[in-house]
Amino acid sequence: MGSLGITFPQLLTQLVSFLVLFFLLYKLAYGPIVGMLDSRSQKIRDSLKAAETAQLEAASAAERVEAEITSARQEGQKIVAEARSASTKLREQEQIRAREEVESMLERARSEITREKDAAVEEVRKEFAGLAVAAAERIVEASLDAKAHSSLINSVLEEGLSQRKN
Amino acid sequence: MGKLFSSPKLLVIAVAAFAALLVSVAGGALGASLGLGFLGGPIPFISIPAERVLFIGSYPLLNSTLMFWLAGLILVFIAWRATRKMSDVPTGLQNLVEVIYEFFSGTADGVAGGQPRSGRRFLPLVTTIFLVVMMANWVGVLPGVGSIGRIETIEEWVHHHAEGLEAEVETDHPEYNHEQVETTALVHLLEEHGSDTFPVFDGAIIPLGRGEQARVPLNKVVSFTSAELHTIEAAIKDNALASGEAHELIERIHHDIEIGEVKEPFVYDEGGDREKSYDFVGQRAGLLIPYLRGASTDINTTLAIAIVAMFTVQLWGFRALGVRGYGGKFVVSPKKGPIAMFVGFLEGFGEITRTISFTFRLFGNMFAGEILLIAMAFLLPLIGIIPFMGLELFVGVIQAFIFAMLTLVFGVMAVASHGDHDSHAEDH
Repeated sequence: MGSLGITFPQLLTQLVSFLVLFFLLYKLAYGPIVGMLDSRSQKIRDSLKAAETAQLEAASAAERVEAEITSARQEGQKIVAEARSASTKLREQEQIRAREEVESMLERARSEITREKDAAVEEVRKEFAGLAVAAAERIVEASLDAKAHSSLINSVLEEGLSQRKN
Repeated sequence: MGKLFSSPKLLVIAVAAFAALLVSVAGGALGASLGLGFLGGPIPFISIPAERVLFIGSYPLLNSTLMFWLAGLILVFIAWRATRKMSDVPTGLQNLVEVIYEFFSGTADGVAGGQPRSGRRFLPLVTTIFLVVMMANWVGVLPGVGSIGRIETIEEWVHHHAEGLEAEVETDHPEYNHEQVETTALVHLLEEHGSDTFPVFDGAIIPLGRGEQARVPLNKVVSFTSAELHTIEAAIKDNALASGEAHELIERIHHDIEIGEVKEPFVYDEGGDREKSYDFVGQRAGLLIPYLRGASTDINTTLAIAIVAMFTVQLWGFRALGVRGYGGKFVVSPKKGPIAMFVGFLEGFGEITRTISFTFRLFGNMFAGEILLIAMAFLLPLIGIIPFMGLELFVGVIQAFIFAMLTLVFGVMAVASHGDHDSHAEDH
């Protein structure tokens, strides 16, 4: 052993040196590096998970927005339709009312006309009667043949009345 | 070639490179055989045990331990810098350590069954082994490591070696007094290491190109004969060292050791029938002690890491399968027959074998790398070493990776419950 250089104190020295070195490297290098790498991989895992959740969240948010837009559109369409139907109804009502008014006005006008006409005819008849009497007086004065001429007067009156009525 | 001559810059570089090659060939070991070899450099000799640089009390501090600590300091510094300000978006060093971690994390999970985090319990040790072994290998390639040092004289060498022997002698012969113990140790040392060789120094620089042959045996520096040693031994037994022939002999030996110079010409056996005589008389001999030495070129380092690795593998096994479950792999009840018992014994033996193979795989590779670098510096000084330094960096990573991966695989094997054991349990 001696000629190979193996001696107990030297072997012990190298053993202790190696163990001390092992301990130092473990504390200085191995521990921190393993901790670093583990924490890093944990961080990456966490970020990936966070990214995934964010993606899912974004997708669901987009879906929600889409649904909201759709519902808003539908609501708008409904409102428009309602407004349109309301306006239609209103117009129809107005038309009906206007027509009715017009008709009632026409009716009133017609009855007024009739009344006026009747009144006028009455007045004319009264006037004509006076005129006829006056005319007759004159005729009678001139050549009265009461019998022959009264029939003539009556026929004239008849004629005048029928003319007025028409 | 046309491009080469059209650009003066390229031409200068090419000429310089060629000149460096010429100088390195002529100044190196090849040139030395032609009488050149003017570039000083280390001789290609490397001792398997790491060298002692200095003593702290009686504890010898090795040059490889210094480099191991340097490697550790570099690693701790990098780790500290990398993790000082961590952020989720990594930059610089943090990126680097994260890449290394991620690589081993992925590999460990793959080896341990494929589920994420299944290999995590092995990771701290496996990554540490990779980083520490790699850095320990790399600091060994730094220039100056293994080539800058001091010369340990024969006197110092004898002093260090005799200390251990004296302790032995004291336990063997408690009745000896101090002088007797000291002398006995010296005699043992000379008997044991008399033919050990030491490099010869011509001043502070070792002459290059002489290689292994520039070494002198101890008994040419310190002259003694076995008859003289017997005389001294007899005198020790009689406790008659204070005077007489033995006393004079010891005085002479001590004097020789102190001077540390080659005393007589010697014949160096080159193998086969060839012999070569050398005349180094008057030159000092000693050992080159590099101040620094690659940490993984010392078996103590590789053995220590291997022990930690295999010990932890057993720990993983016991934690995953329980004392009975994992221990049952090694200690099989005789009821299951002698073959199962023998297999259990082999399993246990295998764990020891793995430790040894861990130790010597890494040591062998890195030691060979160092020899390669020294050999190249010896053959082609200046430039020969450059490509091999790159190669050594690569080998350093590969060896660290092999060490870490084997630890991981052994760990996975230890925590996996072995199928035949379970089926046997069901049978009973």
